[in-house]
Amino acid sequence: MKIETFKYDNRIVRAFAIATIIWGLVGMCAGLLAAVQLFWPAANLNLQFVSFGRLRPLHTNAVIFAFVGNGMFMGIYYSLQRLCKARMFSDKLSWINFWGWNAIIVAAAITLPLGLTTSKEYAELEWPIDIAIALIWVAFTVNLLGTIIRRREKHLYVAIWFYIATALTVAVLHIVNSMEMPAGPFKSYSMYAGVQDALVQWWYGHNAVAFFLTTPYLGLMYYFLPKAANRPVFSYRLSIIHFWALIFIYIWAGPHHLLYTALPDWAQSLGMVFSLMLIAPSWGGMLNGLLTLRGAWDKVRQDPMLKFMVVAVTAYGMATLEGPMLAIKSVNSLSHYTDWTIAHVHTGALGWNGFLTFSMLYYLFPRLYRTQLYSVKLANWHFWLGLLGIMFYVIPMYCSGLTQGLMWKQFTKDGFLQYPNFLETVLQIVPLYRLRAIGGSLYILGTIMCAYNLYRTAKGGSFEPDTEAQAAAIADDAGAPKEKGHRWLESKPILLTVLAVVAIAIGGVVEMVPMFLIKNNVPTISSVKPYTPLEVLGRDLYIREGCVGCHSQMIRPLRSETERYGEYSKAGEFVFDHPFLWGSKRTGPDLHRVGGKYPDAWHYKHMEDPRSTSPGSIMPQYTWLLTQKLDTNALPARLSALRKIGVPYPAGFENGPAQADLAAQAAKVVANLRIGSVSNAPPDSEIIGLIAYLQRLGTDIKSAPKAAAPALSSNPSPKS
Amino acid sequence: MIKNVLSDLGGVGLYGVISICIFFAFFTGALIWTFAQRKSLMNTMELLPLADDETPAQEGDSRHE
Repeated sequence: MKIETFKYDNRIVRAFAIATIIWGLVGMCAGLLAAVQLFWPAANLNLQFVSFGRLRPLHTNAVIFAFVGNGMFMGIYYSLQRLCKARMFSDKLSWINFWGWNAIIVAAAITLPLGLTTSKEYAELEWPIDIAIALIWVAFTVNLLGTIIRRREKHLYVAIWFYIATALTVAVLHIVNSMEMPAGPFKSYSMYAGVQDALVQWWYGHNAVAFFLTTPYLGLMYYFLPKAANRPVFSYRLSIIHFWALIFIYIWAGPHHLLYTALPDWAQSLGMVFSLMLIAPSWGGMLNGLLTLRGAWDKVRQDPMLKFMVVAVTAYGMATLEGPMLAIKSVNSLSHYTDWTIAHVHTGALGWNGFLTFSMLYYLFPRLYRTQLYSVKLANWHFWLGLLGIMFYVIPMYCSGLTQGLMWKQFTKDGFLQYPNFLETVLQIVPLYRLRAIGGSLYILGTIMCAYNLYRTAKGGSFEPDTEAQAAAIADDAGAPKEKGHRWLESKPILLTVLAVVAIAIGGVVEMVPMFLIKNNVPTISSVKPYTPLEVLGRDLYIREGCVGCHSQMIRPLRSETERYGEYSKAGEFVFDHPFLWGSKRTGPDLHRVGGKYPDAWHYKHMEDPRSTSPGSIMPQYTWLLTQKLDTNALPARLSALRKIGVPYPAGFENGPAQADLAAQAAKVVANLRIGSVSNAPPDSEIIGLIAYLQRLGTDIKSAPKAAAPALSSNPSPKS
Repeated sequence: MIKNVLSDLGGVGLYGVISICIFFAFFTGALIWTFAQRKSLMNTMELLPLADDETPAQEGDSRHE
């Protein structure tokens, strides 16, 4: 048996580790600023670049793809080499992965504040960046599979299975969801419209949680937890079942984000049933993690790394029990659109991903720098501050979600809404928003302590760029009869890859194929017409400003909603919506039937200063919309892009008639504004486009039988 | 249940049956495969992360304080 000597690459691990800490702090601070704006709107300094709608995607992208993304690469690059007993397949690819990924994050940090967004949650980045993501992800995948094929350890530990599933599924999700038609260098429209777009988006969104935030971290758990506890995983068999069950079931559950919406009922129920089934593998995995510590709990008291790990795994268990509960339709009808969801995702993000990342960092730094952790005491402080931070974040958000959800649904004994004014339900929860910001601050404080502790650890040690190791090659020493067996083994990762792809493809195909092929899943409504040119530009502004982050456009068929907002939303109303803008959170009221509800001048004044029309409102001011000019030059490219993906604008419409149409409609809005004593509005300002779009919302189904307008005014108090 | 779930779908009977069959076959296969694995292999596998216990910072490793 020939023993080979080789070196593990620690430089790449260190690079990802440093990026994890830096981006973690950036992402969390962006979140804190967004959180503060929810009780103190002026905290955006009236700068459009950091207004809530643009800041929120920056926060989510930074935390998911920058903090957790770099943390994931850090852990994978460290553990994969050691589990495969091989250096990474290609150092060049490793660094392409590192610099490419971080360049993408920088691009996101620039484009999102500029309002360049597709508006699809966790897939906001525009098409050139989407292409870059795909290329960098391919580099990572090739490096991953290459390392596995060149390994010196014939068995593939279960962590590697999770890594393979992550690499492949994220690629599939990203490509399918990012199908978009460019309409300029940083503007595109989703290929899908309305209900179909919603289904694809939440198939992606849900599985981004599954395969970006969960599976890679489960792989890391299966590596780092036994390492830290110095004992093997509780049941290896359970880990195998955990793997296959999880990746197979997860992919089906996406529609639970769309319960009670215009998505066909069969798809909703499918999502709900599979979500409930998810409890089994998730809890199998969680228990497997916790039981690994049996007999080692004394270590948990001493080792901060294990403390973080235990909370992380517990948070995983809580979030994965809560998720399926929230997927039950009746629970969802209360929780959806409220802060309950925010509490849920932060249990996962702060507890599971955050604490597991910290745990890995505390494990890795002393090893990379050949020293001991600078201060165990400081790490313990970090642990308690972090835990307290999670509590102060999550508990107020539960209270807030429940309070607001119940207030929305409360009727008087006479059958009227008890709180018809949406703003009343917001003012009730503002104190909880303050508490949440305290929780976030504590968590950030802990992270700063972590950064300092790791910095001092690094200072006090000497970095080992390569760790030398020895192992026997698996193929070379075999005689002729064994060759076959080894070749079969080497083909195993490929087989595993194929099986994993099949497993995840089944769920996606079952959900999507009928949705795209069977026409009666989206009944058409003849009075629903494409947006006018001015409305298209207005809609693009709605997308740019991230209005969808706080306002839904999806009235569920529940009495509390139809009483408040009007007729429930129908699938056929969204056939020209590229992308769909249903939203997932109501920090402000639903806007699907806002068209015609208020005069144009009300919208103008409301955007100029929301507090002038709705005292106490927490909506930001949008003064820049009043002065910035509408980009009418972009119109031809946008209309033609929309036509290419199926919106029936007549040929040549964008060249001349569209501009004339736009000018005529803008003049009408300006005239309406004058009636409302707003006399200084320039007809070419952005606000004109936005008002035109808002006034169009939800009016199509009313235009068929003319003069059915006042149907909406069941909410007597015109407040936001 | 599944029939109701998929009742709006064309050819729903077949579709539901196929889904549930794939699902059932997949899980049965995974379970059988997992439990058919040799105990010795499982023991080897679960020790893999612990195999290379490369120089974690030891007490007294005071090359750099």
